[in-house]
Parts: sequence; structure tokens; C-alpha cells
Amino acid sequence: MEAITANLTSAFATQQGMWEWLALIAASIGTYVCRAVGVMLSGRVSQESEFFRWLSAVTYAMVAALTIRLIFLPVGMLSTVPLYLRLVICAIALGVMLINPSRRLVPALLIGTLLMVAIGIVQAL
Amino acid sequence: MSTPPTDPTDLYNQRPEHFGDRVTTEMDCLESYQGSHQSENTSVFDQAKTARFTSTTHAFWSGVRDGRGAPAMVLFAGMVGFGAMGRTNGFDVWFTTATSFLMFALPGQIVMLEMILLGASSLTIALATSLTATRFVTMTATLFPMLHARDRNKALYAKVHLLAMTAWAVSLKEFATMEPKYRLSYFCGLGLLCWLISIPGTVVGFLIAGSVPMPITLGLIFINPLFFLLTFTEIKVSGYRLAILLGSIAGPICYLFDRDTSLLTAGFIGGTLAYWIDRKWIRRYDHVKRGGV
Repeated sequence: MEAITANLTSAFATQQGMWEWLALIAASIGTYVCRAVGVMLSGRVSQESEFFRWLSAVTYAMVAALTIRLIFLPVGMLSTVPLYLRLVICAIALGVMLINPSRRLVPALLIGTLLMVAIGIVQAL
Repeated sequence: MSTPPTDPTDLYNQRPEHFGDRVTTEMDCLESYQGSHQSENTSVFDQAKTARFTSTTHAFWSGVRDGRGAPAMVLFAGMVGFGAMGRTNGFDVWFTTATSFLMFALPGQIVMLEMILLGASSLTIALATSLTATRFVTMTATLFPMLHARDRNKALYAKVHLLAMTAWAVSLKEFATMEPKYRLSYFCGLGLLCWLISIPGTVVGFLIAGSVPMPITLGLIFINPLFFLLTFTEIKVSGYRLAILLGSIAGPICYLFDRDTSLLTAGFIGGTLAYWIDRKWIRRYDHVKRGGV
């Protein structure tokens, strides 16, 4: 109980300064502008254009780079789990997903998350 | 989508009852414009006058009802994971929740957290998050032409914030079965629910991350990396598969040279290279294979 109280107290204490909030506002504006541009272009610009194809390719590459970093070079708690275990979990989840990609996202995600919890329990022993 | 039935009752009967069968993901939208041409079909859909709703309020609540289910659960889980990530990386609950509220785009939110941790500049962060948000351009541009002409006014610039993967995919499917004048209300009900559950999701993830035993927190922060990885298997366009592969290779290499901007440079280098290879060889090969010149 005491731990929970301590957790709540520290959770509501402010940690971020002006700089982080500035970054958040800049990122939020950037994200909103993309939505607004979509409204502006709706029904006017071809979705098959080369520019959109290039933009999509860049986005995929960036999300892929992010995913690889989160799995291979995590910061914080995940880095306490050995790399090979992280990779084994990913392989198992991908295996579940590939049995039937159109219906297996939820089970694959659940199995991967539960395996990570299990590893945490074993590590804590 | 290519051959919409002309009889409105057929359209109504084809309406899927369970969205949970196939959970749509952040990745679907980028691919969608390859296969479907929503704007061209709008006129056909407009003719499908079904008496599905009696009023705009009815349409709104029907949107709220349709938002519950597997897609919203995955969104909620992602937000819980994001909240846990914020907690374990030393962010406070205000900042973490404000991120979900203001950005409402998971890949961008995680890119931002990562880049703040690495100490990147605000400008680099804004550029990188905006790039992950470009999918919204294509999503909006395919969905909003289906709205009634009366609804396509300045107010859309406010309502577009409710647009995310889940609301987009469900709306695209459902719009075909309703009168155009009710579509905006339906979209608002659905989008508002998704946006509003992302806030308790983030707060719950944040608060339980510090209160529950360590193994559960570990599982929570692993949700999003795993989620992104799994959605990559749903991409069918070979050019984009190549972009994912090259991005995965470019990522760690760029990280060695310059940590702050590595996501941005990896995306640019990997994506542009994949686009170029796709245009130069893959598409030409596909064309020849199909019996073209």
C-alpha cells in the first residue's frame, strides 16, 4: 500500500521542463498539420502520385528503424532482458501471426506480452 | 470495393457485424490507396440510400457503439503500453497524457519520447513526428470526399483531429451503407470514443507501471514494439516491404553515426533507396510479368 502511495505521489510530480513541452507542442502541430493538409487535399490530389509513394516508403523505413531500435537497443527496463530472449519472443509472436495474418494480431500480441511477463517473473526469482 | 452492389438492401446486408475479425492497424492506411479508389466510388455510394439512421444523433451513437470491439481494444492496449513507457522513462503523468491527447498518433508519440530521451532538438523532433504522421494525409484524402457536401466546411479542420487508424478503417467500411448526410455524425461518434479512451488508457498504463510487480511493467512496455513488428507482416506491397527492410538496416547504422537524428536519416535513406529500387526495377518487372510492354 505504501508503495502505491509513493508511486502516486511521484507520478503527479512534474518532471518535464519548458524544453520538453516545447518539443511536444512542435510535434503536435506537425501531426495536426498533416491531418489538415489531408482535409485540404481531399478529393483534389491523386493518391497514386509518385510523391505519395515516396512519402509512404520513407514513413515505413522510419517506423521500421524505430521498431528495430526499440527491440535491439532499448533504453530503460527492457534492456535488462537479454537480447536473445527479446528476439525469441518476437520470433514466436511473428510465428503465431503468420499462421493467419488476417485474424491473429490479438493472439500474437497477447502471447508476446505474456511471454515477456513470464521472463520478468523468471528473472525476478 | 471494386463492384459495389446497386441494390441498397444488398449493401445493408453486407455490412460486417464484427470488426474484430480483422484488426486494422496503423500500417493499413498507407497501403490502402494502392488498392482502392474511394473518391471515384463516392458517387456510387451516394446512391445507396438506406434508412439506417433516423437522425444525426442516432448516427452519432451508432458510431460510438461501433467503436467498441477489438480495434478499440488494441488502441487501448497501445495507449496503456505508451503510458507505461512514459513512466519507466522518467516522464510525468501530465506530459505523457498530454502527448496522447494532443498528438493522438502512437508511432509519432513513441518517436517523440525516444528523441527527447536522446536529447534531440525540437525542430528535429517536429520533423520526425510529422513524417510519421504523413499517413493522415492519405487517410483524410480518401475518407472525407465521401461526406455530404453540406458537411465539408471549415469545421472539418477541427473534427479531423479525431481521425486515427481505427476510426478511419471502420468509417471507410461503414460509410457505404449510410446516407451521406449521416456520415459525419457517425464518424464523430466513433472518433470521439477512440480519442477519449486513449486518455484513460495512457493514465492507467502510467499508474500501474509503477504499482504492479516489475514483470507486468516489462510486458506493458513491450506491447508497442511488438505491435509495430507484427503489423509489418500485413504489408503486401513489395516496394514498402523493401522500405521496411532497408529502414531496419539503415536504422542501427545511422544510430552509430548520430543518435539524435538517426530515425530521420534512416527513414530518408532507407525509404528513398527503397522507392528508387522499386521504381527502377520492381515495378518494371511486375509490368513485364503482367504481359505489358
